[in-house]
Amino acid sequence: MDEIKLNSGSPKSCLDTYARNPLVLGLLVGVLVAVVQGLLISAGGPEAYGFCVACHTRDIANAAFNSVAGTKLAYAPISQNAILPVLTVIGVLIGAFVSAKFYNEFKTKTASAVSYIWYLLGGLFFMVFALFMGGCPYRTAIRVGYGDAIAFIGLLAIIAGVLVGIKIATIMAEREG
Amino acid sequence: MAAIGWLSKNVAVIAVPIVTILFGILVGWLAQRSAFCSIGGFRDYFMWKQTRLLFGYLALIIGAFIGYLVFWLITPQAFEHFFWLLTSGLTPVPGAPAGLTVIGYVILAVIGGIAVGLIGVLLGGCPLRQVVMTSEGNVKALLFVVGMCIGAVVFTAWISGWTVTLLKGLGIA
Repeated sequence: MDEIKLNSGSPKSCLDTYARNPLVLGLLVGVLVAVVQGLLISAGGPEAYGFCVACHTRDIANAAFNSVAGTKLAYAPISQNAILPVLTVIGVLIGAFVSAKFYNEFKTKTASAVSYIWYLLGGLFFMVFALFMGGCPYRTAIRVGYGDAIAFIGLLAIIAGVLVGIKIATIMAEREG
Repeated sequence: MAAIGWLSKNVAVIAVPIVTILFGILVGWLAQRSAFCSIGGFRDYFMWKQTRLLFGYLALIIGAFIGYLVFWLITPQAFEHFFWLLTSGLTPVPGAPAGLTVIGYVILAVIGGIAVGLIGVLLGGCPLRQVVMTSEGNVKALLFVVGMCIGAVVFTAWISGWTVTLLKGLGIA
């Protein structure tokens, strides 16, 4: 299991001190998803769709696949009606890349071919199960904020899944000695 | 019955990619700096009683509620079904496969949630963290994101329909 990467070194600026605090991202992004909905809801639904890594990736992937393969895979109305689908995930890639470069934290990390296959399959199944529940943990969070009881059940299920995962990871670590 | 936002429809359809990419850049920057991770938040709490990331995730729920509440008070027509439980009862916000019963959605949420938590812990991060790690040069995370794209196409093309057929066939949806 990968260790969580804590940023090292001293903060370079006051702004960076705030940026390093997860509370800032949580509160700011939480309020901004409401602003995004206010701005864009005329283009189409669903509601509580301001930020979701799984669904927004789905919109981009399906739109791209449709235009290449000529299929008619469904995705969110907001992305179908707009001139381009929601590009949040592309934005995250750009923002994180620029930030990583700026703070000298960009480092190409390769691994074994076997682990690549695991991650590819992991991403595939993750997406399938996330779409079962109608979104990744982020959309689940903003749906809970929007008052969706089913999303709250999903959130409890995620916590249960994390506990099972920790149990499995612990057993695997003990076996490896 | 479509919701009316702050922008007219003609403007909004052009604004969608622009607003979302700018919003994404902001999220990407903050997430890279803070190593934000939803599943990592729960994991750190249960394994080491660390609350740093967990509080960030809880702040997202609270922030979203405050944001929706404030802007709903100002422009209720853009937040038609806020507070969802009071306006729409036990149905979910659209997103999961459409046309199921409440029991069907609960089953999907439980199966999906457990699997999402499990995979997230075993592969060291939720999807946002994987996307951010991709931008930091992690090839494993890049493969995860590629897998997500394939999963999206596979799900929409086949699994979504099969699931609805299965649940309806079993008589629970």
